[in-house]
Amino acid sequence: MTWSPEPDLGVWLLASLLGGLAGVDASSWPQAMVSRPLVAGTVGGALMGDPASGLLVGALLELLALRHHPFGAARYPDTGPAGIVAGAASAAAGGGVAALAASAAIGWLLGWIGARTVHLQRGLAGHLLADREGLAADPRGLERRQLLSVGLDVLRSSALTAAFLVPAVLAARLVPPAPAPGAAWLAAGGLVLAAGAGAGAGVGALAGVRRRWWLLAGGIAIGLAALTVTP
Amino acid sequence: MNPHRRDFVRALLRTFAAQGSWNYRSYTAGGLTYALLPLLRRIHAGDPVRLREALERHMRPFNAHPYLIPLAVGALARVERDREEGERIVRFRTALSSSLGALGDRLVWQAWRPFCLLMAVLGFNLGLGPWAAVVLFLIPYNAGHVALRIWGMRRGWSEGLRVGAVMSGEPVRRLARWLTAVDVVLMGAVAVTLAGRLAGAALPAWTGPAGGAAAALGGAAWPGIAGASAAALVVLAAVAAWIHP
Repeated sequence: MTWSPEPDLGVWLLASLLGGLAGVDASSWPQAMVSRPLVAGTVGGALMGDPASGLLVGALLELLALRHHPFGAARYPDTGPAGIVAGAASAAAGGGVAALAASAAIGWLLGWIGARTVHLQRGLAGHLLADREGLAADPRGLERRQLLSVGLDVLRSSALTAAFLVPAVLAARLVPPAPAPGAAWLAAGGLVLAAGAGAGAGVGALAGVRRRWWLLAGGIAIGLAALTVTP
Repeated sequence: MNPHRRDFVRALLRTFAAQGSWNYRSYTAGGLTYALLPLLRRIHAGDPVRLREALERHMRPFNAHPYLIPLAVGALARVERDREEGERIVRFRTALSSSLGALGDRLVWQAWRPFCLLMAVLGFNLGLGPWAAVVLFLIPYNAGHVALRIWGMRRGWSEGLRVGAVMSGEPVRRLARWLTAVDVVLMGAVAVTLAGRLAGAALPAWTGPAGGAAAALGGAAWPGIAGASAAALVVLAAVAAWIHP
């Protein structure tokens, strides 16, 4: 296995395994939030030798995902496998602004494809536990089905990562490492506005905050001040 | 019979997988029952009929915030141990379901998780290394997460039917409100610092933070439109990169 920007067989297998763990973490076990794009993106980037590029795309995906809360039966992007794949794609494509834009779009799309597979998996779990009286009489059977359902979620997430990793890396590598100024300007501008709009939408999704505008403006002022003093 | 300490430990560990069988029919009931089993086996030891009746009760639809499921497990085990009447347990369970969901969503998903995530992203934007940022998120977040589970199991068992008073406590609500307000401040700071980083060398230095600030203020005014627009802007940025005019 080589730790270079090439998705060789070893990296592909490791990414699939980590994608399985990241995917199952979101809901099934243990919900330690290694499934968040911030973490999964960094891990994906590290697989391709550049964790910082992975984290940057993860941070952008995080801002897009912050308004989607897992309340009740709500659907939300499955950010574990998506973060691994997006982080790996961004790092493998050089981590520039164009690679970042391409991998973020791939990650967001994959997040919603993943959400669809979560929906299917939950339907399957419903069938596994449908016989309430039968399972009440067979506690060991209930335990087996619970663990089977967790195992199916691992397989689902692994398969998703395995299926999309190589196509995503290839797609991200279609962008030039040093795009023409016009393309770079458009890509960077789009990402800047997306980050801001994502954060704003996240604020809108937070309930019960008084003086929201003052708090947001204060945060912006703090951020601007921090930028001026940070090298 | 009273459960042993190791039964509580096993039940607590099982709550980490409580949403493993989440489904649209019974929600998290399978996971709740799976976590309750070590305690119920001890409480109803030697009485398979009572055990089956208890399992049948707890397999009925139930939903709660996953980190507060230990509170439900502790409280439900307590009422089973106290030999409360079956219908009363079912009603208590129903009351727990809705209130644990609302409290956990408010405290964890809307307050604690964004707080830890945004602190980490802000740290990265201001120069923290990638692994340090990940650790800055995961360690404090999970310290709170695990502490909440342990607290929930203990309080649930000690309070039993009175656990409602714990959940309606003003300190918890005040903490959630305060954290959410801090989250809004952090959102603003993260929006401009991340935008500055994303602009990189492709745009004049001031345009990144300025664009991020303007988009954040606009996004907070029209969150529904902003959420969809953010995703669309990422796709447009990707298209611009791919076709590289």
